[in-house]
Amino acid sequence: MGEYGVAPGQRVAIVWDSSSPVEALKGLVDKVQALVGADNRVSVENVNQLPQSAHKESSFDVILSGMVPGSTAQHSVELLAEVARILKPGGRVLLKEPVVTESGNNGKIKTAAKLLTTLTLSGLVEVKELQKEALTPEEAQSVGEHLGYQGNDLLIIQIEGRKPNFEVGSSSQLKLSFAKTPGPSGKPSVDPAAAKLWTLSANDMNDEEMDLLDSDELLDSEDLKKPDPSSLRAPSCKEMGKKKACKNCTCGLAEELEQEKKKSSQPKSACGNCYLGDAFRCASCPYLGMPAFKPGEKILLQENQLHDA
Amino acid sequence: MAGRGLLVLFGSQTGTAQDTAERIGRGAKRRHLRCRVEALDSCDVANLIHEPLVVFVCATTGQGDPPDNMKMFWRFLFRKNLPAGSLCQLDYAVLGLGDSSYPKFNFVAKKLHKRLLQLGGNPLLPVALGDDQHELGPDAVVDPWLVALWDKILALYPLPPGLEIISPDVRLPPKYTLRYLPEDSPQPNSDLLQPTAPRAAPCELHPFAARVLSNRRVTAQSHFQDVRLIEFDIAGSGITFSAGDVVMIQPQNCPEDVQQFCQLLRLEPHRRFVLEPTEPGTALPPLLPQPCTVQYLVTHYLDISCVPRRSFFELLASFSTNELEREKLQEFSSAQGQEELYSYCNRPRRTTLEALWDFPHTTCAVPADYLLDLIPRIRPRAFSIASSLLAHPERMQILVAVVRYRTRLSKPRRGLCSTWLASLNPEQGDVRVPLWVKKGGMKFPADPATPVIMIGPGTGVAPFRAAIQERVALGRRGNCLFFGCRYKSKDFYCQTEWEELVTKGLLTLFTAFSRDQEEKVYVQHRIRENGRLVWELLSSGNAHVYLAG
Repeated sequence: MGEYGVAPGQRVAIVWDSSSPVEALKGLVDKVQALVGADNRVSVENVNQLPQSAHKESSFDVILSGMVPGSTAQHSVELLAEVARILKPGGRVLLKEPVVTESGNNGKIKTAAKLLTTLTLSGLVEVKELQKEALTPEEAQSVGEHLGYQGNDLLIIQIEGRKPNFEVGSSSQLKLSFAKTPGPSGKPSVDPAAAKLWTLSANDMNDEEMDLLDSDELLDSEDLKKPDPSSLRAPSCKEMGKKKACKNCTCGLAEELEQEKKKSSQPKSACGNCYLGDAFRCASCPYLGMPAFKPGEKILLQENQLHDA
Repeated sequence: MAGRGLLVLFGSQTGTAQDTAERIGRGAKRRHLRCRVEALDSCDVANLIHEPLVVFVCATTGQGDPPDNMKMFWRFLFRKNLPAGSLCQLDYAVLGLGDSSYPKFNFVAKKLHKRLLQLGGNPLLPVALGDDQHELGPDAVVDPWLVALWDKILALYPLPPGLEIISPDVRLPPKYTLRYLPEDSPQPNSDLLQPTAPRAAPCELHPFAARVLSNRRVTAQSHFQDVRLIEFDIAGSGITFSAGDVVMIQPQNCPEDVQQFCQLLRLEPHRRFVLEPTEPGTALPPLLPQPCTVQYLVTHYLDISCVPRRSFFELLASFSTNELEREKLQEFSSAQGQEELYSYCNRPRRTTLEALWDFPHTTCAVPADYLLDLIPRIRPRAFSIASSLLAHPERMQILVAVVRYRTRLSKPRRGLCSTWLASLNPEQGDVRVPLWVKKGGMKFPADPATPVIMIGPGTGVAPFRAAIQERVALGRRGNCLFFGCRYKSKDFYCQTEWEELVTKGLLTLFTAFSRDQEEKVYVQHRIRENGRLVWELLSSGNAHVYLAG
């Protein structure tokens, strides 16, 4: 890996602020571009513009901030949170910031410790102090100009941090079972203490005083969802059910159905005559709804049955 | 664990989960697995930690509640003191039966699955959620789930070498053999519903045979609906109840149906028999005296008026010697035939007896041994108790609307229990009804000053009648009732009772007679009209609101 831990092909963002001398910024950009190769992989952002730019999350491998020689950029929690957002999981941020050695009256400049916690609070992990160096006279002057601090207990600290290796919103299951050495059946054997407690409790089934868990707490948002109505329909749903013709159909329904169906995948429903009962009658049988009757028995349809149901 | 075994545990309210559990049990037998099928509250829960393979079939009822026969198990399962790794030996699968039109769809199965996981169990499959709202009902989920389940189970416990899965064409042995006693054995006491000696509160296995004191129609004769106020004598039963509680009544089949059934199946009603389990360890069926007459079995036990299920057709097909009938029966038991079955049975609410009528060449060939495998037990029906012990000690009253409606079948559909109750005439002798009490979901406030707003159209008013009687006896005056029905002159039951209380200032009554005028007026209109009063009761009185019907 090259300087700044940047490798070819990576996407890098360089964050600068008004305290960075323009030539120095350009110099850094060129250097980094040389490291990653061409193809516009280097983005340059002003620290105030970064939130507005709204880069796509997890788009950068490395972010360099305040790294321009002479920069006195300060990093707030909000800025660092944005940095964490646009970093890829496992991506790295490298930054420099002036710090005071003791927390003094000037609250604007952080101590090293405070800066480290600021990174952690923004969601970065493996926050490490890489080095501290004293300020050059130009840098000291720059601090005086931009931050209005005159004391001579300043240091420039270089810190790196990483975005954790998982994405926001990802989940993983906690293994809650406490694996014991398996018994002969290949399963963990029951802890005798647990077995005893269980048995004792079970022998006390009528004890109304026992403390109970709230079973509702077991349910999560998935459980509370209702099934999708489209999933409740039968695959081959027809409004009135399949129409079947009798075995020796005389009303013409059989011919109609023959023309409709192409393949003979219709279930072999052996259909007898109307006297056999609803189980065997076809859909247009006038005796539907009446019980089976003996063959030869004359059944008169009652007046009310001749009307539509 | 030596040998291959499966335990199927079910929680069933209307019998569907039990039927499905038994179906799984049969599948296990066909795969040469030892199998026990039990209700959750009947199994020895202490032993659950040693069970290697359990399938749970649980319905959700009420408002996301477990069925009655798993309530004890449910309370046990959620005890905080159960150790986390207790069920580490357990491979399990949960099948839920529910209805997605309810907000707490299949909550019991969902919670059970998660709790078992929490306790260290290992799920073989994700929880399966059968849904009544699916066009093909729960089977749409159960059928593919069963395929996956057997795959998983046979992977864990492969078939012993040399054995194949028993083909569906081969009939499994019945649960019991029915051994007829010789015709000349001594006759039993014919009155099998003797009042039992008082014991601990009556329950499903030991109902109380309550005498019917009165059975009065409370709707006008010209009204289309027949609603009865029935009073029972519960003296000496040990039964107590308060307003909001529910009575469970065990109905029986009407004599005409019993006679028709015996004729169809070539059974002699007066013959007595005993039952013997084919597999040792199977319990005898509850509530069936031994020895028993065929008449008793068909009248009190076999639910011949229920809508037959798929398993009924599957078993019936195996007896058929008639090709035409057998093919049809097999079609109804196949996965592809489910739409046909729904159209034939479920939509028109065809009864088992009516279905048997369509298959005369098969019904005459059904061995008596298989009767209890073929037809399920009659289930009890629940009614809100409509009276208070404080107003009528040693009495229990209920309001029953006789269920009667038409489908495309020419014979109208009748509710089994309501029709039977309506037919009881106390003036013709000692008429008894087996019943027991269950705690209800409604609790009325303990604080005497809290007013109560009750909204109960139609027979929904029953628990409120109990509550009002109770509260009036206790001197509580804050009673506000919104009652709705169709016609003031036809189905305004309890009219005189209410009017008397109103005169005494003990009841505020609002009525909505939906068909007495051109536009429909319902209880909700009355509530809105009297919004101010309702609001005052709620905001300054802290009123409790109840809704039933």
